[in-house]
Amino acid sequence: MGLRRRLGSLAESAPVAVFPVVGAGARADVARLRLRPEVELVDSPRHADVLLVAGEFVPGEVPGLAQVHDQLAPPRGTVRWGERLDGLDPSTPTIGTQDEVVAAIGSVASGLYRDPSISESPLLPDVDPVDWRGVGPYGHGGTGMTGGTPYGRPMVERAPDRDGLELDQLPVTVGPWIGSLPPGMTIHMKLQGDIIQEAEVLELVAGPYCPDLFTLALSSPQRVEDMELARASHHLVWLGEALRVHGLPALGLRALRLSQKLGPDSARSVRRLIQTVRRSGIFQLALRGVGTLPDSGLDGLGPVSRAHGREDDARLDEPAYRELGFTTITHDGGDAAARWRQRLGEIDQSLDLAGRAGALTAFGAGVVESPRGRIEPEGAQPSSLLKGRLAVWLTGLEWGDAVTTIWSLDLDPITYLPVETGARQ
Amino acid sequence: MEVALSVVAVGLILLVSVYLVDVADTAIGYSVSGMQGGVASWKAPLVTAARLMLRRRTETERPDREAWALAPPLLGGLAAVALTAIPLSAGLDVADIPVGIVLFGAAMIQVMVAVFLHGWGPNSVFPMIGAFRMAAVGLSIGIPFSLVLITTALPAESLSVGVIIESQQDLWNVLRQPLGLPIYLVTALGFSFWGPGQLPDGADLAGGTNVESSGPALLVWRVSRAAVLVAVSAMGTAAFLGGYLGPALPGWLWMVAKTAAVALVLIWTGHRIARVRVEGMVRLGWLVLLPLALVDVFVSGALTL
Repeated sequence: MGLRRRLGSLAESAPVAVFPVVGAGARADVARLRLRPEVELVDSPRHADVLLVAGEFVPGEVPGLAQVHDQLAPPRGTVRWGERLDGLDPSTPTIGTQDEVVAAIGSVASGLYRDPSISESPLLPDVDPVDWRGVGPYGHGGTGMTGGTPYGRPMVERAPDRDGLELDQLPVTVGPWIGSLPPGMTIHMKLQGDIIQEAEVLELVAGPYCPDLFTLALSSPQRVEDMELARASHHLVWLGEALRVHGLPALGLRALRLSQKLGPDSARSVRRLIQTVRRSGIFQLALRGVGTLPDSGLDGLGPVSRAHGREDDARLDEPAYRELGFTTITHDGGDAAARWRQRLGEIDQSLDLAGRAGALTAFGAGVVESPRGRIEPEGAQPSSLLKGRLAVWLTGLEWGDAVTTIWSLDLDPITYLPVETGARQ
Repeated sequence: MEVALSVVAVGLILLVSVYLVDVADTAIGYSVSGMQGGVASWKAPLVTAARLMLRRRTETERPDREAWALAPPLLGGLAAVALTAIPLSAGLDVADIPVGIVLFGAAMIQVMVAVFLHGWGPNSVFPMIGAFRMAAVGLSIGIPFSLVLITTALPAESLSVGVIIESQQDLWNVLRQPLGLPIYLVTALGFSFWGPGQLPDGADLAGGTNVESSGPALLVWRVSRAAVLVAVSAMGTAAFLGGYLGPALPGWLWMVAKTAAVALVLIWTGHRIARVRVEGMVRLGWLVLLPLALVDVFVSGALTL
C-alpha cells in the first residue's frame, strides 16, 4: 500500500473541509451545517477540499464564483445545494436535505482522496486581467512609485492618514465570499495599514426572497409561539456566526445547536449560554465602544433601533402581545455591545413569550416585526435600509472593528429579486 | 553525534507535545460546544494531518516565495530553539545554556518575524493585515514578556533556566513574584497567537496570515503554532512553577505535568475568552502590562537585595 493510499484512507475519517458560497434562503441551513461532525466549514477557499454552492442565485450571475472555485487547492470538487446554477457542471445533481448534502460532500471528498486525478479543472484561464500597460516612468501606469493599474491591478497610492501623515493607501476588494463577512457582501475599500480610509459596500443580487414565518404573517395571522421561537432561533443562528468571527467557534456551535432544537423549555439552556457569552469578556474585549451609530434614521430597524433606547417595535400595537404584557427591551449606547445585549435579551424574552402564548395569534395585515426589524408588504428588507449608510460608518475603522460593526448589525447583504425576475423564473 | 541526538530529542518531544495540544484542543472544543459524534479527539490530529498532506500547495499572484516558504519552518524552529533552553529534569537538558532565559526570550521575539514573513509572503490583503497586527502586538507585549522572565533571574542570580528552577526550592516564583505569572500568561497568548491573542490569524481576517496557505504548508504552520504554545507553557512552568521540582515523583514527570496544566489553561482560555481588539491589546501592553512588569522588576529587585 503506497503512502498516498494510506494517507487517503486516514483522510477519509477526517471532517471534510468545505467552503460555502451561500445564496438566497440558505444562510441558516449552511450555518447549521457546522453542527455536522462529518464536515468542517472553513473561512478561506484555500483551506477547503469541497466547494459548496448553496441557495438560490440569479442564473449566470454569481459574482466571484469561478474565482473562488479556482482558489481551492487541488484536488477539489463541488457540491450544489439547492437550485441549479449556470456556469457550473450541469451534471451535478441538485440536493435537498442536510443529510443528502453531507453524504454528497463525503462522497466527493472520498473520491478525491482516493483518486486526485478526478479533481475539477480551473474554470478561469491563468492570465492577467489586462495587459501590461507600460505607461509612466516605471511602466506601471502611475506616477512615481505608486498609483496606476499594472496588469489591471491597482497599485498603492499616497494619501494623508487620520493623523495627517502621507502614507501608502491600498485599494482592495473583499468579498463576496469570505468567512469573515456575511455571505454576499463585497467591500471595495482603500486601506492604510488596517484602517479603512474609504469604503463602498456592494451586495449580492440573488433570487427571490424565500418566505418565512414573518413574511407569511404579512398576509395571514400566525401563532405567537411559533413566531417567537423563530425569532429566538434567528438570533441564535446570528449569535453562532458572530461568536465564530470573534474567536469563539465552540461557543458558536452551542448557539447553533440550541437554535436547531428550540422550544419554550429551552430557556434554561439558552440562559446558561448567554451567561457563558457574557463571561467570555466579549463585551469588554471586543464590543464596547465599537460601531456606535448616529442616533437618526434607525426607525424600523428592530434590535438595532432598540439598542439606541427606542421603543420601536410593531409588536406593541398587537392585541395578542398586549395580552401577554409585552414591553420592549431597550439598551442605551447604540454601539456593538448594546446591539449584542439587545439580541441576547430578546432571545430570552422570546422564549418567555413563546412559553406563555398558548394559541394566541398576531399580525396578518399591515406591518410585522421580524427579527431584523419592521417589514411591510412590498417593502424593503429591514437590513437593506442600513446598507446605504454602512460605507460611511466603516470609514476610519480598523478592519477588526469594521467586522465587529458589520456582524453587530445582523445584515442580510442580498438584494432579492421579485419572483417573476428571479431564479425560479 | 550529541548534537544530532539533541535535535532528534527536541523534535520528538515537540511532535508528541503538539499532537497532545491538538487532542486537548479538540476535546475542549467538543466539551464547550456540546458536540458529539465527531472523530475521536485522540485521532483528530492524525486524520487532519493526512487530509492536509494530500492537498497541493496553492500559489498566489507574485508572492515572495522564499519568505512564504520559510515562515512555517522558521516558526517551528524558533519553538524548538526556545525549548532547548528548558531542562526536563535536573541535569536532563538538551543544551546546558548559561543564558538560557535570554535565548528563550530572543527566540520568542523572533516569532514576530516568522509571523510577519508568513503574512508578507503571499502578497495578499488579509495575510498582510495579520502581519501588521503581529508587529503591533509583538512590540506592545514584548517588553513586559521579557521583563517578567528576566525578573525570575534576580533571586537565582543567574540567567540559566536550570539555576532559576533550583532557586525555587523554598518558594516558587509564582508566590515570590505574584505579578510575574499573570503577565507572562497574557503575553504568552499574544506570542503564541492563541485564543484572545489570536490577532494575526483571527477569524475576522478569515485566517489572517494563513488565509492563502494550503496543504503541507498549512499543516506545518499549524504544527509550529502549537509548538510555540508548548514552548511558552514549558517556560511558564520553569520560570514560575518550580519546573521539575516536586515531591515523590521523578522530576521530568513534574515538569511534564505542570507544563500540561499550563498548556491546558491556555487552550481552555482560547475556547472561553473572546479575541481582544488590536487597539485593546496594544493599550493593554503599553499602559497596563509594562508598568506592572516594571513594578515586578523593582519590587523583586529590592527584595533580592
